[in-house]
Amino acid sequence: MKKFVLLFVLSLVLVARISAQEDTTKTTAEDLKAKIDELKGQVEGLNESYLETKATVDALKKIKLSGYIQAQFQSAELDGISSFSGGNFAAGLHNRFTIRRGRLKVAYDNDITNYVLQIDATEKGLGLKDAYVSFKEPWLKSFGLKAGVFDRPFGFEISYSSSSREAPERSRMYQTLFPGERDLGVSFEYAPYVPYEDFLGYFNFRGGFFAGNGVSVEVDNQKDFIGRLGFSLPFYEENLAIDGGVSMYVGGVKLAAGKSIFTVNNPTLASADTKTTYADRNYLGLDMQVYYALPLLGNFTLRGEYISGKQPGGSASSSSSPTALQTGDLYLRNFSGYYLNYVQNLGDKNQLVVKYDVYDPNTDVEGDQIGALAAAKLGAGDIKYSTLGIGLVHYWDDNIKFVFYYDSVSNETSSKLAALNSDLRDNVFTFRIQYKF
Amino acid sequence: MKKIILLLVIATMAFGFTYDNKVITVKGSDTMVILAQRWAEKYMESHPGITIQVTGGGSGIGLAALINGSTDIANASRPMKPSEREKLKQRYNSLGVEVKTAKDGLSVYLNEKNSVKELSIQQIKDIYTGKITNWKDVGGKDAKIIVYGRENSSGTYVYFKDNVLGGQDFTSTMQSMPGTSAVVNAIVKDANSIGFGGAAYAKGIKFAAVKKDATSKAYIPTEENIKSGNYPITRYLYLYLKTRPSGEMKDYIDWILSAEGQSIVTKVGYFPVR
Repeated sequence: MKKFVLLFVLSLVLVARISAQEDTTKTTAEDLKAKIDELKGQVEGLNESYLETKATVDALKKIKLSGYIQAQFQSAELDGISSFSGGNFAAGLHNRFTIRRGRLKVAYDNDITNYVLQIDATEKGLGLKDAYVSFKEPWLKSFGLKAGVFDRPFGFEISYSSSSREAPERSRMYQTLFPGERDLGVSFEYAPYVPYEDFLGYFNFRGGFFAGNGVSVEVDNQKDFIGRLGFSLPFYEENLAIDGGVSMYVGGVKLAAGKSIFTVNNPTLASADTKTTYADRNYLGLDMQVYYALPLLGNFTLRGEYISGKQPGGSASSSSSPTALQTGDLYLRNFSGYYLNYVQNLGDKNQLVVKYDVYDPNTDVEGDQIGALAAAKLGAGDIKYSTLGIGLVHYWDDNIKFVFYYDSVSNETSSKLAALNSDLRDNVFTFRIQYKF
Repeated sequence: MKKIILLLVIATMAFGFTYDNKVITVKGSDTMVILAQRWAEKYMESHPGITIQVTGGGSGIGLAALINGSTDIANASRPMKPSEREKLKQRYNSLGVEVKTAKDGLSVYLNEKNSVKELSIQQIKDIYTGKITNWKDVGGKDAKIIVYGRENSSGTYVYFKDNVLGGQDFTSTMQSMPGTSAVVNAIVKDANSIGFGGAAYAKGIKFAAVKKDATSKAYIPTEENIKSGNYPITRYLYLYLKTRPSGEMKDYIDWILSAEGQSIVTKVGYFPVR
């Protein structure tokens, strides 16, 4: 009987324990399910939060901020020289610190539509560089339109960013013909959106109508046409690229009432025209860039441009393109100019730069003919210049680069011009630090 | 003038050359990341003095790194864009060196339960641009199509957009995944989904047979169909370098194109170019 009771009690205990275990198992499974549901909810919440964040980030990614600062020290041969190496030196100064460029660019890139605003802030003040809208048609994505203030579509050197350019400044020819590089207007662009290595993809065109005064207010009713037909030929197997283009400028500069257009192409007498309303401003340009790798030395590029045409200057002492309404006589000259620029990589971090540029503002006269006779109306604005620049660029990291550069400037001389009867001492050394982001 | 030239020479010597050939960094295409890792592992076994560091991120990220100098090799599952070439030219005076390392059939993934077996290029385009949103419109059951794709830094995304969608934008309902594996995982779980990516990633899903147009024969991305050109969406997988390779870099590239390197291409699931 005792055994039976003991067995009964043990059975009860066992049943109770099994039941308790079942309860515990049940509770554990329920707990787990609850925890999984909770985690699932948290993951879904996180996923929703991620999608919201992603949408915000995607929207913010369209806003692009970039810029660069070029701080530099320059030393010239003499005090107060005129220079195209970053502007004239002030009277009494032959060395200087300057912020050559302090750019900040904001762009909103919505794939086929774009907004761009760029300013230049230096110790000299604040200036507008770019302010334009651009868009591409959504079907072929090959045709685009741009309106506002932006780079003139002419040649290579204008559109080659100052932050990327190895030599500190553009050639004298470009600084004279296109001061400030930009202009106010509208341009049409054709850049075929075609499959990889499609023949059509090697060509492009940009051209449009501009005010013709640079980044200044409009001063006349005539619009200038500027355009470039370009090509870019890649030879992948040879690691060779040949780019180039043909550019054209067809425009004019308005003559003030009662003033004359002097065609200064004769060493004895300049012809005067008082009837024509606009003096011709016509250029034709050719440019080419070759990229190749030399055995042992590595990659190099050789760039060259040639421009010739008619240029109306505002005085006998200057052939620069006008940037405001002209109130005096105009001096119409046939000009030509070119540059050759060789850049040799020295490893990944260094580049050797050699640049030679020539600008002859008046190809019809030379030497002592300039300034000989008052009736010829020839002066300092007709003197030919050549510049040999040599330098080294060092890329410290992705953002910083150093430029050491020396410009050796030679000028045509005329015994009839007191200030230009010998080669001027106007060479300039530049040391520049650039930060770009 | 002499002083200036002397100064330039001294400056050049002072800055020196910092290129280190012993460590090769590789960055870019997620499609190629497994392939690049296999190459690196195998090559380092037989070349203990060389370290090859491989990371993904997408073709666009790799090419951007090549341009800013933070990688030696960029992996890309699409050709370099003209804008990227321009940047490379500006900084390195180089068009960049393009090496075709493998061929891939850009595959269209379907869930194994999906009754649809084949799609024309036009149907794929319509699905991915949002014109077709239901499987019944392409011969399947009445169910909404769940569209998966890649992020825009991906070379696969760009290649698909340019060559299948003809440059048109992806539908706004497409869910962008961070890598091809993520696309595949999503399709494994979702019976009504569609995705695209490299042929080497097809685990637990099925390929849609693809036909050039409604009347042509459909093909799946097998080696035979890709080599013969029958499969209509094929692409190369590229390596890009800043300049012509030399030293250890050249040895590595040559090895990738050798029989041993190309055998790894096959093992990973792509198709050799040699």
